[in-house]
Amino acid sequence: MAAKSSLFKVILLGDGGVGKSSLMNRYVTNKFDAHLFHTIGVEFLNKELEVDGHLVTMQIWDTAGQERFRSLRTPFYRGSDCCLLTFSVDDSQSFLNLGNWKKEFIYYADVKEPDSFPFVVLGNKLDVADRQVSTEDAQQWCRENGNFPYYETSAKDATNVAVAFEEAVRRVLAVEDRGDHLIHTDTVNLHRKPRSSATCC
Amino acid sequence: MTFPVTQVIFEQDGIFIHPSTDSSEFQDSLTSGFLRILDKDSSSVVQWAQCPGDGRHRSVEQQQSYETEWDMVNTVSFKKKPSTNGEAPERTSGAFLFNVSDLKTIKVKTEGWCRLTFCLKEHVTLPDLHFHQGGSDSFLDSLRGFLLLTQSPGDQSFLVVSSQSKALSQSFENLLDDATFGLVQKFKNDPYTTTLGGFSKVTNYIFDAFRGPEMAHRQRPAEEVADLISEAIPGLEVNQQEEPGFEVITRIDLGPRPAVWRGEPVSAEAWAEHIDAEGRVQNVAQLKEAVFKGGLCHAARREGWKFLLGYFPWDTTREERKGLHKRKTDEYFRMKLQWKSVSEEQERRNSRLRDYRSLIEKDVNRTDRTNKFYEGPDNPGLILLHDILMTYCMYDFDLGYVQGMSDLLSPILYVMENEVDAFWCFVSFMDQMHQNFEEQMQGMKAQLIHLSTLLRLLDLSFWNYLESQDSGYLYFCFRWLLIRFKRELSFQGVLRLWEVMWTGLPCQNFHLLVCLHLFVCACLCALCEDIMRAHYLYLPQFPHPQDLPSSVGEILGFHADSEQSKLDGSEFGLLDSPQPPRRWHTQDLGEDFIPNGNGHLRETHDVYKLAYIL
Ligand SMILES: Nc1nc2c(ncn2[C@@H]2O[C@H](COP(=O)(O)OP(=O)(O)OP(=O)(O)O)[C@@H](O)[C@H]2O)c(=O)[nH]1
Ligand SMILES: [Mg+2]
Repeated sequence: MAAKSSLFKVILLGDGGVGKSSLMNRYVTNKFDAHLFHTIGVEFLNKELEVDGHLVTMQIWDTAGQERFRSLRTPFYRGSDCCLLTFSVDDSQSFLNLGNWKKEFIYYADVKEPDSFPFVVLGNKLDVADRQVSTEDAQQWCRENGNFPYYETSAKDATNVAVAFEEAVRRVLAVEDRGDHLIHTDTVNLHRKPRSSATCC
Repeated sequence: MTFPVTQVIFEQDGIFIHPSTDSSEFQDSLTSGFLRILDKDSSSVVQWAQCPGDGRHRSVEQQQSYETEWDMVNTVSFKKKPSTNGEAPERTSGAFLFNVSDLKTIKVKTEGWCRLTFCLKEHVTLPDLHFHQGGSDSFLDSLRGFLLLTQSPGDQSFLVVSSQSKALSQSFENLLDDATFGLVQKFKNDPYTTTLGGFSKVTNYIFDAFRGPEMAHRQRPAEEVADLISEAIPGLEVNQQEEPGFEVITRIDLGPRPAVWRGEPVSAEAWAEHIDAEGRVQNVAQLKEAVFKGGLCHAARREGWKFLLGYFPWDTTREERKGLHKRKTDEYFRMKLQWKSVSEEQERRNSRLRDYRSLIEKDVNRTDRTNKFYEGPDNPGLILLHDILMTYCMYDFDLGYVQGMSDLLSPILYVMENEVDAFWCFVSFMDQMHQNFEEQMQGMKAQLIHLSTLLRLLDLSFWNYLESQDSGYLYFCFRWLLIRFKRELSFQGVLRLWEVMWTGLPCQNFHLLVCLHLFVCACLCALCEDIMRAHYLYLPQFPHPQDLPSSVGEILGFHADSEQSKLDGSEFGLLDSPQPPRRWHTQDLGEDFIPNGNGHLRETHDVYKLAYIL
């Protein structure tokens, strides 16, 4: 079991333009492309990594922030193991919308236990000079909404990007461990769809 | 599991059929039956069955029987019930059942009482139903809950089912919200699956439409492709089995691939030859066909696109166009002034304008920034892009700005190099694309359904395979359709493809076929990588153009036009994965390239061949 690479599905949500695609791109390719197109629909990339001795394939799903594309992204929420709620520290509206994103996710992902679902909050564009959202406000929101880990990132200069994605994996692993202890049966993968990873068969 | 609930939407006894057309038997052979509309799993059927006995009381047994019967319905079929006893003449025991989605027309005749004749797709005509005791109106009203019925302009007694049925969009509603991509379910219940599963005639039809010089098929641009296909059905060779009404369509091999020629792009000189002394365009059909075959040289684009897009009517004189241009210029600047003159104060109170502006600003910075025309921080191209999009918000404030529009405008502005002309060409293009961007995205939904239908028609088993993968593969095509392949091809490739599509040849929904082609190519890329797994089918980045079979380029004419055919790919692969699945370097996808012994691969190859015909 431990030797097998497991597939995690991580989804990036947040307002248009906060830097979701840039974050994914930075993490997977370690590049920042200021000329990226805005996202239409959904896209994903895979990244293999090792966290605390676990070999993991992370499937990162990047979504379009615009309201009009909602019906396109919501079908993909299901089966997510972790949700990265993203805002931009230079855009207060994107911070105010975090709650809506969380709600939308819980509703469409059909999360069984919303209270214990692993969310991670990212405040992106840390490198930008004129901030509109303070670290304290963001931390407070995270505390009040379920004690979510909070990271201030910059896709542009790579600050905290890898750390944040790795934290996402740790969160998922933590939830799984708890699940294993509770269940004590053979039916382990209850909360994960048996999506086969590339290494199976 | 809960049982699917069957709902009776309409029910009436005493609806008559006279099974024989022989009028002498008329009165004697009337068969009374009940007519029902049943709704199950959001699929609806119309059922007529003979009443046993007096037909007034249905027993529980009977209810069950139509339940089970329902489950067997997979196709448009006449069921010959075994006659209950020897006395009943066999021809009176017919019963029928069809899915409302198969209904094409209803003929309404009133001669004392009302008589309805149902004609289904594939030109199946059912026995007339006689409403001796009335009730036809309420029956039709119930049907209207599922279908859009309109009177045929030619013959008032014909009700025609509109292709965009309510039921269809409704089921798409479910599809979009259902994380299991309810399509699987929907289409499995769809009677088409079985009947049209053997798709040979369809393919031949498409084959014909794209092949020879015979232009007959091109005369029906207004038809939706899905309609084209159902029209093609009567030409099918149907094996009538012993049991009448059951059709088995055998699959016919496509045969050798036809040669595909691309013409030379139409040059500015060649274009000018079509202009008469007063400036009217002559032989428009011929000109369009030349553009369809070879596209336009870049020098001919600025003029040509205005006509192709409909900004300039073909039959206007030079003088008339001068006047038109003058009026359009005034109109543009009037609208531009409207948003330009909104003060910051005002904008603070206008959240919609504010939102549009902020979206536009964000997107202009993310549109074709590697193209010379939009490169760098203070490129005037960016300001034009911004201003035209803002002015479009004034032109159509309800729609405003929706993401994707900047992608549609950018090539137009690049070609026009003029704010006013670019704006009005964009307006014309948006007229075509409007539905895709509206709140409910009806246009997109309809297209995705059409696409799925096409795929199913072309290759049922491949389609089945995709469906079974729960992959949401249709979403994969969303961006392609919304912005017409804008990000899937090189910039020059987009210019070529768009002008070809704007000719409206060979059919209105040509882009769906292009889409299918690209889709199949993409799947093949995945197949060749032996990664035909559901999640890989999303292919977040489309294969690099150089990795596509050269046929795509050839078909679209990218190679014919060497001066501009640099498939630089800079617009490509916005997200480069660390190990891009790009082992596929073969220039074409030969038969031998497909691994043998795998049904899916074989099937796919056929689709590929089909797509190639494009
Ligand atoms: N300074 C700075 N700019 C960034 C950063 N991350 C992203 N950007 C820029 O912000 C803009 C939006 O970034 P995207 O990654 O396209 O945003 P998104 O969240 O994917 O937006 P949608 O696809 O529309 O939902 C782009 O112009 C990026 O170059 C960052 O960390 N710092
Ligand atoms: Mg994005």
